[in-house]
Amino acid sequence: MGELVQATGRTQRAAATPKGAVAVRSEPPPQYLTFTLGGEMFAVGILNVKEIIEYGNLTTIPMMPSFIRGVINLRGSVVPVIDLSARFGGKPTEVARRTCIVILEVADTESEDDVHHDVGVLVDSVSEVLDIPASEIEPPPSFGARIRADFISGMGKVAGKFVILLNIGKVLSVEEIALLTETGTMAESAAAV
Amino acid sequence: MDELTSVFIQESREQLAEMEAGLLRLEQTPDDASGIDTIFRAAHTIKGASGVIECQFIETFMHRVENILDALRNGEADISAALTTLLLECCDHLGSLLDVLAAQASEPSADVAARGEALSEHLEQFLSAIVPTQEPAARTNLAAQDDDGEVESSGGGVVNTDSWHISVRFGPNVMRGGVDPLSLLRYLGGLGEIIGIETVSDGLPPAADMDPESCYLGFEVRLQTKASKADIERVFTFVSDECDLRILPPHSNVADYIRLIQELPEDDMRIGEILVRCGALTQAEVDHGLQAQHEVLLAQGESSGGADTTAASPAPLGAILVDSKVVHKETVEAAIAKQNQVVDKRAREAQLVRVHADKLDKLIDLVGELVIAGASANLLALKSRQTDLVEATSVLSRLVEDIRDSALQLRMVQIGDTFNRFHRVVRDVSKDLGKEIELSISGAETELDKTVVEKIGDPLMHLVRNSLDHGIEPVAVRLERGKPACGRVSLNAYHDSGSIVIEVSDDGGGLNLERIRAKAIERELIQPGDTLSESDIQNLIFEPGFSTVETVSKLSGRGVGMDVVRRNITALRGTVDVASVAGEGATFTIRLPLTLAIIDGFLVGVDKAAYVIPLDSVVECIEHKDISGGRNFLNLRGEPLPFIRLRELFEVGGQAPARESIVVVQFGGQRAGIVVDQLMGEFQTVIKPLGRLFAKLRGIGGSTILGSGEVALILDVAALVNMVSRSEETLLYGHRVASPFALSGSNTVIRGNEH
Repeated sequence: MGELVQATGRTQRAAATPKGAVAVRSEPPPQYLTFTLGGEMFAVGILNVKEIIEYGNLTTIPMMPSFIRGVINLRGSVVPVIDLSARFGGKPTEVARRTCIVILEVADTESEDDVHHDVGVLVDSVSEVLDIPASEIEPPPSFGARIRADFISGMGKVAGKFVILLNIGKVLSVEEIALLTETGTMAESAAAV
Repeated sequence: MDELTSVFIQESREQLAEMEAGLLRLEQTPDDASGIDTIFRAAHTIKGASGVIECQFIETFMHRVENILDALRNGEADISAALTTLLLECCDHLGSLLDVLAAQASEPSADVAARGEALSEHLEQFLSAIVPTQEPAARTNLAAQDDDGEVESSGGGVVNTDSWHISVRFGPNVMRGGVDPLSLLRYLGGLGEIIGIETVSDGLPPAADMDPESCYLGFEVRLQTKASKADIERVFTFVSDECDLRILPPHSNVADYIRLIQELPEDDMRIGEILVRCGALTQAEVDHGLQAQHEVLLAQGESSGGADTTAASPAPLGAILVDSKVVHKETVEAAIAKQNQVVDKRAREAQLVRVHADKLDKLIDLVGELVIAGASANLLALKSRQTDLVEATSVLSRLVEDIRDSALQLRMVQIGDTFNRFHRVVRDVSKDLGKEIELSISGAETELDKTVVEKIGDPLMHLVRNSLDHGIEPVAVRLERGKPACGRVSLNAYHDSGSIVIEVSDDGGGLNLERIRAKAIERELIQPGDTLSESDIQNLIFEPGFSTVETVSKLSGRGVGMDVVRRNITALRGTVDVASVAGEGATFTIRLPLTLAIIDGFLVGVDKAAYVIPLDSVVECIEHKDISGGRNFLNLRGEPLPFIRLRELFEVGGQAPARESIVVVQFGGQRAGIVVDQLMGEFQTVIKPLGRLFAKLRGIGGSTILGSGEVALILDVAALVNMVSRSEETLLYGHRVASPFALSGSNTVIRGNEH
């Protein structure tokens, strides 16, 4: 099952990058997984999602920036978990009863091969899977969203409300995070003594 | 790429290495005939195999190389320095041709092809300088025989059964004896008219195993001649000891042929077919004959009584033949011995299995999972407090441990092959530089993981070239300094507490500290006012863009070498250091982990988190009696031992328990303590990489999964201690923070500057 999602996920991502490309297709409207984060509604393309698991058994990694919560054991492989709220510059997510980890698949843009990483994101609660047709997606506002513009791939209109569609490739960019961790390491190691 | 081609490439590279090694040996001891044989065999094998995979360009080229080697082998040409160099160049060229094949190109690029042509021309020049070849010599022999042979040629038009049937199997040593089987057949043709000839190639081994000097062929010949049996036999006098000859006169009856069929080593039906093809018999005759013979055998078996029945069917063939006086007992015994030899050889080959590396990796992965699953079963057993269960799981985990060790052993290879490549490098480079340098190798049998071996080649190459170019002084300078004219570069490998240490040392002039310092200031790596220890200065050479040689030679001196060396080695979780004594030489020490997959770990706990310290680096554990001084060192049997408080460093939070423990670790001659809350004992640690996201994280070597399913982090002790001591230095010598260069290579800081 996981493999199936993985396989389709790749083709879809390739097709979905230019905005118009999705609309041209006469396929059923793309589906999104919506979740809440600090009271706000966000969504990611369903094809990026591998699975959703309960929060637990997280191992923190020392000397890391705060938005990296740690790693979990996902059936034998070690998967990093990112605190989305902290990644957007907000407060770290408080763990509550409905806190979940959404496992997403992210393409490694730096390597030549078609390499994918699994990354978990910490969310307050997972809501539902929605069909959002391309016609219902607006470009992100130039400012005011309080989130870096390149993190947003569009604004979906659902029941008269806006849902922020996240650009997972940017939000969880392995290169960028790795770079950030490095400065984190420096700062912490200097502070350690 | 199809499997055949990839096997070819791999095997050819091995043969190529052998050829090269052979050539280098030959250069040292030119009289060693067996050396040439080795080279020839390797070259021939490559040629043969390239024919099999229909790789024309390699086959053509190797054919030319082989011509020269053949001449050498026959003593028609003498080995000279020029020729060795040429042949070594040919080896290089072959290497690039193999690269072409590996890249799946249909033919080599223009410059490679041009180089091939140039080399071929050189080869031709050498070859044309050599006069006689083997064949004419053999001819003269035969011609001489021709005279006393009194050959009569028959008119032909005789019925088929009127022909002689000759079946000959040449022994493997025929060609070594200087006789060309082909010329014997030609001579045979001179006796009369060969009306049918079939080659029996069943004895041919697979191309890779073929010995070019051995003859594997046999022939079935129909010869029409008036010559007598003695005349025909005389054709083969020269090889009578070496070949298996059977001659059937004309008008022999079918039974004789059938007997012949069964005497021959090949499969009966196959020989039957061959005989039919060369016109000795008809298919019906063969079928009938074999059938009849089979019945006779069965009948004989039965008549000889119940006891013999079991042995009757296959074994007695030889016995029957002896009984019926067809062959001599000795011949049968010899044949049996020969068969046994073949079986032995096959058995020896079976001891080696070529396995795809992916399969091994998969196995190691699975063993890793097994170890984790075993640990969790163990944990549950302990919780259940059932003695039987605990005992059973402990037996199980001991077995798992054994499996783990042998699985890892599968991937271990000796470093010797990697080392041996450098003979060539040293030879070429020392010639280019006009220096006399010898390479000495020790510890070649030291084993390490295959993945590590593959990646260590390039860094080693840089280091060796560096030693050759910068380390060893020119002969005149050496003599002046009272050193022997011949410089020495040594490669050494040995195991040291869970890692492998590889040393590249030379007896040259050592590093010039003043020049390094001056250069570092010029390159703004350090400030003029900085005080640096000797080893700090020496390690400056690993900085990016550092090179002290004024002229850029083609060997080294582009200033990327040492930087790349360190980056590659760090990528393998290893370290590289240099120690130098002015005037006596320099030693580069590379320290690498033995394996990249599973280690023995020592589990410790801080608050709720668990960490793994590689067991190899653990010396002892001591109780930490609270020293309120706030200074992070203690008195360990009279020696000061600095220690790191993991709780503080990792900002774990929480209150330290009343009794803490200190794990004393050792690495590279340095000792340090690590303060932890709990000691949880040994733990087989399957290393799970933390992924690209944490690529820049220092002090943590990876992660592992505990029996409880939780993830524990593996401490990289050396990096951890380095990191702490660097940051402490940075804190205490505030002015150094301004310097873009962090002292003696804290990776973190230096890497930061690259961006």
